[in-house]
Amino acid sequence: MQSQVMVEVRDLAKTFKGKNGDDIQAVKGVQLDIRRGEIYSLLGPNGAGKTTTISMISGLLAPTRGDARIGGHSITREPLQAKQLLGVVPQEIALYPTLSARQNLDFFGKMYGLTGTELSRRVDEIVDFIDLRERQNDRIETFSGGMKRRVNIGVGLLHKPQLIYMDEPTVGIDPQNRRRVLDTVQRLQQEMGMTVLYTSHLMEEVQEISDRIAIIDHGEIIAEGTLGELIQQIGEEDRLTFKVGTQSVPDALLAQFKQEVEGVTSAVYERHDVTNGESETLAQVDGIVTIMAKRGRKALPDLLRIADDAELDVLSVEVREPDLEGVFLHLTGRALRD
Amino acid sequence: MRKILAITWKDLYTTFTDRNLILIMIVTPLALSTIVGSAFSGFIGGGGNDVPIRDIPLAVVNLDQPVEVNGQSFNYGQTFVDLLIPSNPDDSTSLLQLTDASLFSKADAAQSSVNSGEKSVAIVIPADFTRSLTYSQDNPDIHVSPIEVYSNPSAPVSAGIVRSIVENITNIFLTGNATVEATIEALIARAQADPAFGVQFGLASASGSFQPDFALAFQPDSAPITIEQQTVRGTAQTFNPLVFFGSSQALFFMTFTAIQGANSMLEERRDWTLQRLIASPTPRITILLGKLFGTWVTCIFQVVLLFIFLTLIGSLIAGEPQLIWGSNLLAVLAVIVATSLAMCGIGAVVAALARTPEQVNVVGGIVAIALGLFGGAFFYVQAIPQIAPLSRLTPNYWGTEAFATLAAGQTDIGLNLIVLAGIGAVLFLVGLAIFNRRLSV
Ligand SMILES: Nc1ncnc2c1ncn2[C@@H]1O[C@H](COP(=O)(O)OP(=O)(O)O)[C@@H](O)[C@H]1O
Ligand SMILES: [Mg+2]
Repeated sequence: MQSQVMVEVRDLAKTFKGKNGDDIQAVKGVQLDIRRGEIYSLLGPNGAGKTTTISMISGLLAPTRGDARIGGHSITREPLQAKQLLGVVPQEIALYPTLSARQNLDFFGKMYGLTGTELSRRVDEIVDFIDLRERQNDRIETFSGGMKRRVNIGVGLLHKPQLIYMDEPTVGIDPQNRRRVLDTVQRLQQEMGMTVLYTSHLMEEVQEISDRIAIIDHGEIIAEGTLGELIQQIGEEDRLTFKVGTQSVPDALLAQFKQEVEGVTSAVYERHDVTNGESETLAQVDGIVTIMAKRGRKALPDLLRIADDAELDVLSVEVREPDLEGVFLHLTGRALRD
Repeated sequence: MRKILAITWKDLYTTFTDRNLILIMIVTPLALSTIVGSAFSGFIGGGGNDVPIRDIPLAVVNLDQPVEVNGQSFNYGQTFVDLLIPSNPDDSTSLLQLTDASLFSKADAAQSSVNSGEKSVAIVIPADFTRSLTYSQDNPDIHVSPIEVYSNPSAPVSAGIVRSIVENITNIFLTGNATVEATIEALIARAQADPAFGVQFGLASASGSFQPDFALAFQPDSAPITIEQQTVRGTAQTFNPLVFFGSSQALFFMTFTAIQGANSMLEERRDWTLQRLIASPTPRITILLGKLFGTWVTCIFQVVLLFIFLTLIGSLIAGEPQLIWGSNLLAVLAVIVATSLAMCGIGAVVAALARTPEQVNVVGGIVAIALGLFGGAFFYVQAIPQIAPLSRLTPNYWGTEAFATLAAGQTDIGLNLIVLAGIGAVLFLVGLAIFNRRLSV
């Protein structure tokens, strides 16, 4: 019987040399176990170290420390065996723009050792799978962003890998194509039994498709588990957001929220300056107070009263059930969005 | 092995289906060498070296004034005189044999010598001859001030010959300048498509180091019409200018291809296709060899195509099929293969040492132009003793020399092949090693 573990990552770390000679610790000792057949997501903001982690797992970067095994094969010691099991979908559109979709598939198929009729049969299947039969002989450079993304995914599927990684495959495409990509990910799992390692900085999609999730920040996994497990970690807290516009919120008031209202575990104030693109003048200031509270709806009247006493005008209120955004906020004190 | 070929084939396919690249790789060098080469060929005429008439009595009057451009002095009138009147009495070229020319300082003195029958023909080079020929901002459209030809009615054939000499030499000056223009236009077109190259090119032309070098192509010492090779059998073989200009232009443009080919490695890394290759179960060395091999084959194809086209043009000019590269086609191919290897080695090292594809374009442009300059793509380097030894450091020199040797029907190109293959092998391996180290980060 095959081992239940598809990917085993142990103490994986990467330190880059920065421009001025100092060290950039992009990944700091990551441990992961990805089970066969699951959709496993790495969720983290831009710069968290997702691409670096995945690059080490796929043998693009030599780890500074640690190792990863794919199907039991060490990526550092048996790279060719490990890579044979792995399909890659990079964050960038890694295709030759002047070749047609079919020529791209053909070429990369050969790199995975496919030849002859097997190769052309697989390319046919992929062209159908990504729904590009009509356009298969057109150059990639003539494709829309969504179509390119689909070919980018298709190339990773050619050799029927047991594991496929997809690095932010929904970046820069419209909602319709995003939907399509997410459906594709689920079809890979359900119809082909593939294990998917998925990365994203968007919590909604991760929440929707993943069996298990690792939250990564500053090169470290700060939480791991199923959606339910992660939400339990923060004690089923609701998230309340108050929009306060241009008003400033003193730290004392935030402290008061925490001390005087039952169930409140954290209160943070963030300002989002919205500038006009060209003139760079300040168009709008969006002040937001985010409060984590058990039974948020119950806490709301007290919170609003305290705000009113402090002459803080709350412009709008939103109460959200526990989600990954809340988990991230709880763990880091920062919002997941940039 | 199959994977190496797949990568090679992919690179060849992308290169040869790119219209812009074909323009730079084939069309531009072909146009340049044809313009210049055929101007010289017109002189030699049909490849024959039989000169039915010799020693036409000719009076030459040079009123031309030198012109300064970019701190360099031009005097085409003087060049004209040097072509007709030997500074060294031992010089004997077909042109010098054709006429028996002497210099007169005044136009009317020359005219009366024709009237008296002492000379058959007189030519007067006007005072603004050089100015009218020089391409500059003040003089963007070139209108030649005509050289006057006086002849004695009793010598119509001689007059005709002299007239055609005058026309041909003037044409060389003209096309020379047109070539400068065409080359600069081609480079500007490239610069527009490729800003990094543009910066580099801008620097070169601003420093004035670029344009004046072309002028040397018109110096009598360098004009290849003066070269005649004796074959073993004693039949004179005329040096074909298409061979000289064609091969030096081909090698110059091949440098760009080689550097661009190696650069595609960095471009593929930027565009993540290289990462895709590395993430596939393909050994690193296979990927590297496939890419470099692809560049090598591209270079070979480029030169072979150029040589075939130049052969056709040469045959058209001659009016009959002509193997302008000599009859030893295998040896020609060997030189092409060796020169391409050397250029690829240079390209590999340049790209391996650079950080970004943009850097390669800048540095590569400088390297290619430097090699072209010293290797003889713009002027006949051997005419300038100070830099002639430097030319031996360039594959361009060893390549063009080997092609000239073969075209002249000789075979002693062993040293050239060894030097070229040696440069190629060493740099190729160095580039490979550096790339391999860079990829395992
Ligand atoms: N080649 C590199 N050299 C130096 N720093 C790098 C390099 N690649 C990534 N980094 C740094 O490592 C951190 C993690 O980057 P990355 O893995 O791309 O994050 P993510 O994919 O989560 O957005 C960032 O701070 C980034 O600037
Ligand atoms: Mg990333």
